[in-house]
Amino acid sequence: MSFIKLENIAKSYLYGEGEVHALRGVSFSIDKGEFVAIMGPSGSGKSTLLQILGFLDKPTSGKYFFEDKISDSYSDDEIARIRNEKMGFIFQAFNLLPRTTVAENVKLPLLYSKIKENEWNTLAQKAIEQVGLTHRVNHEPSRLSGGEQQRTAIARALITNPEVIFADEPTGNLDSQSGHLVMETLQKLNEEQGRTIVLITHETHTAEHAQRIIKIFDGKIESDSIVKNRRKANDMELLK
Amino acid sequence: MTLKHAFKTAFTGLKTNKSRSALTVLGIVIGITSIIMIMSIGQGAQDLILSQIQGMGSKTIVIIPGRQAKTPSDFAQTLSNSLKEKDLAALQQKNNVPTLGQIMPVVIGAETLYYQGNTDQPTVFGATDLISQFFDIYPSQGNFFTDDDVKSHSEVAVIGSKVKDNLFGASNPMGETIKIKNRNFRIIGVLPSKGQVSFFNFDDSVIVPYTTAQNYLFGINYFNRIIVTADSENDINRTVDDITTTLRNSHNITDPSKDDFSIETQADLASRLSLITTILTLFLTAVAAISLVVGGIGIMNIMLVSVTERTREIGLRKSLGATGKNILFQFLLESVLLTGIGGIIGVILGTGFSFLISVILSKFLAVDWVFGFPITGAVIGILVSGIIGLIFGLYPARQAAQKSPIEALRYE
Ligand SMILES: Nc1ncnc2c1ncn2[C@@H]1O[C@H](COP(=O)(O)OP(=O)(O)OP(=O)(O)O)[C@@H](O)[C@H]1O
Ligand SMILES: [Mg+2]
Repeated sequence: MSFIKLENIAKSYLYGEGEVHALRGVSFSIDKGEFVAIMGPSGSGKSTLLQILGFLDKPTSGKYFFEDKISDSYSDDEIARIRNEKMGFIFQAFNLLPRTTVAENVKLPLLYSKIKENEWNTLAQKAIEQVGLTHRVNHEPSRLSGGEQQRTAIARALITNPEVIFADEPTGNLDSQSGHLVMETLQKLNEEQGRTIVLITHETHTAEHAQRIIKIFDGKIESDSIVKNRRKANDMELLK
Repeated sequence: MTLKHAFKTAFTGLKTNKSRSALTVLGIVIGITSIIMIMSIGQGAQDLILSQIQGMGSKTIVIIPGRQAKTPSDFAQTLSNSLKEKDLAALQQKNNVPTLGQIMPVVIGAETLYYQGNTDQPTVFGATDLISQFFDIYPSQGNFFTDDDVKSHSEVAVIGSKVKDNLFGASNPMGETIKIKNRNFRIIGVLPSKGQVSFFNFDDSVIVPYTTAQNYLFGINYFNRIIVTADSENDINRTVDDITTTLRNSHNITDPSKDDFSIETQADLASRLSLITTILTLFLTAVAAISLVVGGIGIMNIMLVSVTERTREIGLRKSLGATGKNILFQFLLESVLLTGIGGIIGVILGTGFSFLISVILSKFLAVDWVFGFPITGAVIGILVSGIIGLIFGLYPARQAAQKSPIEALRYE
């Protein structure tokens, strides 16, 4: 019984005349409450892997079990529901709606949920509080710093209370100070609320905030190890 | 997703791209505006024509000499001399047409009038004093000629207001003598200015006894029209039948297709004219409808661009749990709202413009024009624009719904 389980997952893209093998047989599992970092050089297949985990794309071969059910058995509407209720996504490019306030952006997933409208404001408030953006509720993304934008995206990922958060290089576009704040937020979510987090990064420094690091190279797992000296984001000494 | 939020999302989407939305919907606005104007003005024109025909009285029957023109080239056939004095006498016999009310022969021509160096070229009507009743025109000065004047071919004339102005200016024309075809006519009456009555403008005319016109002016022995009234509206059909029989007897016609006269009732005329205006209105509406289709294609185009541009937003929404149906509905609603709003603006503009036109026509051009709000046009206009949004929004919305979330999130 595991929360997420991959068995020999492969993914190839047709590209022009040839084929690109982004993943070539990847197997691992993740338990509930784990904080896993996925590392690897550019083009090694990290984003592809995360897209498969998040039901955003389908593998070419192999089996993916989410909550012990094979991914093929979910209908499109069920997948939409899972993405809405059980998964939260954080992207490198933030992907906030322009000309829409922080509060409205954070509430976006609720539009597609079954949660009653009279709870929306409370939920949004709570999520915004967790990422420390209470003073920016009515700002539009164009008036926020990169770090604030990414924390808005985190609040949006949090609002439906998902079991797992998938973050694809969430600190990639941020300076070290803002990146630090984002990592602190993610670590808090994992430790205090027991949320599963799958984080993609190519920085060792960032990856060491996780409990476990999976390194992939050229579409295959190179190593899968526990972090011995886990970094604490609220430990100010380690701030670069 | 609740309907309320679907609307909110769609509105936000439109508001975010304000100027594009406005440009997109322009085609629809113009299309609906023209449809409303065409319908409103078409209705007004029809009402106007009908009220003018009614001005001649609904019991009126007009007998026209010659075979009825079936094609435009057939027209010469209608210029015929088949209606003569003996027909008039036959029609006047009570046992031939018992429901006949009044009867008046008419001859029409154009002549030059002379008075002390001034000239004018009005329409000359030869008639009887019944013309007064038939067309509801009564002299403001003097009187019409009498039956005796008709019998004795009197050289007397009643002139229209414009003719009076042209020949006499401000001086009093009563009792003065004018020359027509080298004959002296005494002015015995002046008509008040009345504008168009049915198809005639009596302001620019001179009316003389028909006998005088036939013999001294036109040199003819036939009539251009015989105008008749039935005793009552219910008697019209019977009267028409009796007139037909009487004239066929009088002309020795047995084969109805050889009739050398035709009969027109005001009801015929009204229905024929309203058919013409209806066809014209429909035709113009169809032209405007084409502009709506063009507008719809414009909307489809811009929606497709919009879908491509918002690929990222679509991907994001899907990754946050939106189903394909949610996305489809969002874009469909955007396009329906857009065209619906365009339709409403079009109805408002179209109504405004037609009202303006009605004010100009009635206040400044003294046309007897009544403004009517085209309710059917408005309802159809708004419905049609909504449907256009639905039809032309469907394809782009489906494109949006089918986007895979990763393709969408990758899009830069
Ligand atoms: N849609 C696609 N079509 C063709 N090839 C693709 C597509 N998506 C990814 N690839 C290829 O698959 C490989 C893995 O891509 P992926 O985005 O997973 O790499 P990554 O590890 O996330 O890299 P980075 O660190 O630069 O983000 C790359 O070689 C990429 O070019
Ligand atoms: Mg990547």
